[in-house]
Amino acid sequence: MKFKDHVKEGLLTKNPVTVQLLGMCSTLAITTSLFNGLGMGLAVTVILICSNVLISALRNFIPSQIRIAAYIVIIAGFVTIVDLILQAYLQELSESLGVFIPLIVVNCMILGRAEAFASKNGVLASALDGLCQGFGYTVALVVVCVIRELLGSGTFGGGILNNGEGIRIIPQGFPAMQMVMPVGGFLALGFVIAGSQWLMRKLEHRKKDKEAVR
Amino acid sequence: MEGAYSQALLGILFSAILSENFILVKFYGICPFMGVSKKIDTALGMGMAVTFVMALASAACYGVNLALEALDLQYMQTVVFILVIASIVQVVEMFLKKSVPALYKALGVFLPLITTNCAVLGVALVNVQAGYDFLLSVVNGAAGGLGFTLAIVLFASIRERVEKAECPQAFKGFPIALITAGLMALAFMGFSGMKIF
Amino acid sequence: MKQESVVKYILRLALTLLLITGVVAAALAGINSITAPKILENQQAKIRAAIQTVLPEANISGEVAFTDATGLVKTVYGSDKGYAVEVAPVGFGGDITMLVGVSHEGKILGVAVVSQTETAGLGAIVAADSQAGQSFRDQFVGLSGTLAVEKDGGEIDSVTGATITSRAVTDGINAALSCVADLEKVG
Repeated sequence: MKFKDHVKEGLLTKNPVTVQLLGMCSTLAITTSLFNGLGMGLAVTVILICSNVLISALRNFIPSQIRIAAYIVIIAGFVTIVDLILQAYLQELSESLGVFIPLIVVNCMILGRAEAFASKNGVLASALDGLCQGFGYTVALVVVCVIRELLGSGTFGGGILNNGEGIRIIPQGFPAMQMVMPVGGFLALGFVIAGSQWLMRKLEHRKKDKEAVR
Repeated sequence: MEGAYSQALLGILFSAILSENFILVKFYGICPFMGVSKKIDTALGMGMAVTFVMALASAACYGVNLALEALDLQYMQTVVFILVIASIVQVVEMFLKKSVPALYKALGVFLPLITTNCAVLGVALVNVQAGYDFLLSVVNGAAGGLGFTLAIVLFASIRERVEKAECPQAFKGFPIALITAGLMALAFMGFSGMKIF
Repeated sequence: MKQESVVKYILRLALTLLLITGVVAAALAGINSITAPKILENQQAKIRAAIQTVLPEANISGEVAFTDATGLVKTVYGSDKGYAVEVAPVGFGGDITMLVGVSHEGKILGVAVVSQTETAGLGAIVAADSQAGQSFRDQFVGLSGTLAVEKDGGEIDSVTGATITSRAVTDGINAALSCVADLEKVG
């Protein structure tokens, strides 16, 4: 598979969040500020690349009967390493993501990629797959974050820009607080997935039109 | 002190099922919530299996955590918990297959899926973080599972109808399901005032 | 693949898994030995910073032994200006760890939240550096005795939509106040 195809799959046609619907717990729970979304996306990407590489390297060594258990141990190991490093050096992020960092272990996306891709492909391809899928995950998270933060708190870039306060776009008192609460998570993700389905169909139509013209 | 304890117990029970519902408020276990909620029967089966495993896992992880604390190995928590949960699921599956085949037939297909259900690992981690004792942990696990069952069964029954309804093309499938779940979460927010303390 | 006995087969599986787990455990132990001191330091720095905000310009003399009937008080730090009491009342989403500065006369000098897991945008406001959070915490300064939120007939304005959190913070502050009152009685 070519690099371009990998990127396209990760971002749109096989995006882990909007198409495969994997790793939904964290997508819904922590997407309340840009800081959270970027942090979670990067953490997952790093863990995904590491676990993909290691599992791909060990794919001939692990007997298939115990492969799931072995994958889980490897993934849990990387998750704990990232968790400890965040607690030590990026305390703010670790506090704001809370229990959802250890819960990356059961993010079906990582186990899913291990089983569907890394266990069958070479180390380099697996690393690339991890990078693209992780990137697609991060982009989807950030989009949901931006929507929820803008509508729910009225700011952009909360936790990063403007001393962590975020840049205020909607004056205080107007934003719909429900958007940063659980309700907003479901609604925002629903609309984002609908948007990506609409976009994909449009692209497909355009391709068909082109072919018809020819 | 006894009164305060039973109050805490009741508080955990009610908040885990309603005001702090595992799915609709805390977002644990969304994957099976979306994945296995197309039919009421399967949703109920999944819910029961999850409740059972969550209560067991809470009990087991409480014991395991005591051992980890004694050995000063708290940083191994995530790895050990997920292994414990995976083995519990495996043992439950084998046990049911041998001794209660009827129940195995009903729940069997869902059991392997439970290992990667965030609700199970989530409840184990939350129990430790909140410092619950053995009884509170088990109650929190079981009540969390009941909350999960309640949400997934309600959701499945709405979804059976939504599937047949007309909706914009782009919203077909998961988007409309997510929005339905969002409206349910809105309804569950109403419980948040109901805290027994 | 050549045939092998069942026992050997199971042993091979178990040993492979054991090996992987062992390697993972060793790697974690290594990482932990690097990060553990840093994590501890972070936590202590956070508590120190919080003590500084609730007892400005005080000379902290160290931890003080205390008695507490509520079970909410965790640690008490003594100083020349008063006490910094670490309390952990139960909020909406778990424990709210906070420090309350109390003068020897039993007046509140300051309130700082160290860690909390309240709902973002609602309960979490009590800990935020924003104007709303600041004014919620500042209203306690100078008060004494037993406090209650407005809904319970008291004088504390709750954060909008977060009565449970506001009530929990007030409970924690009451525990700190009564704990200091006991300390002063004895001392």
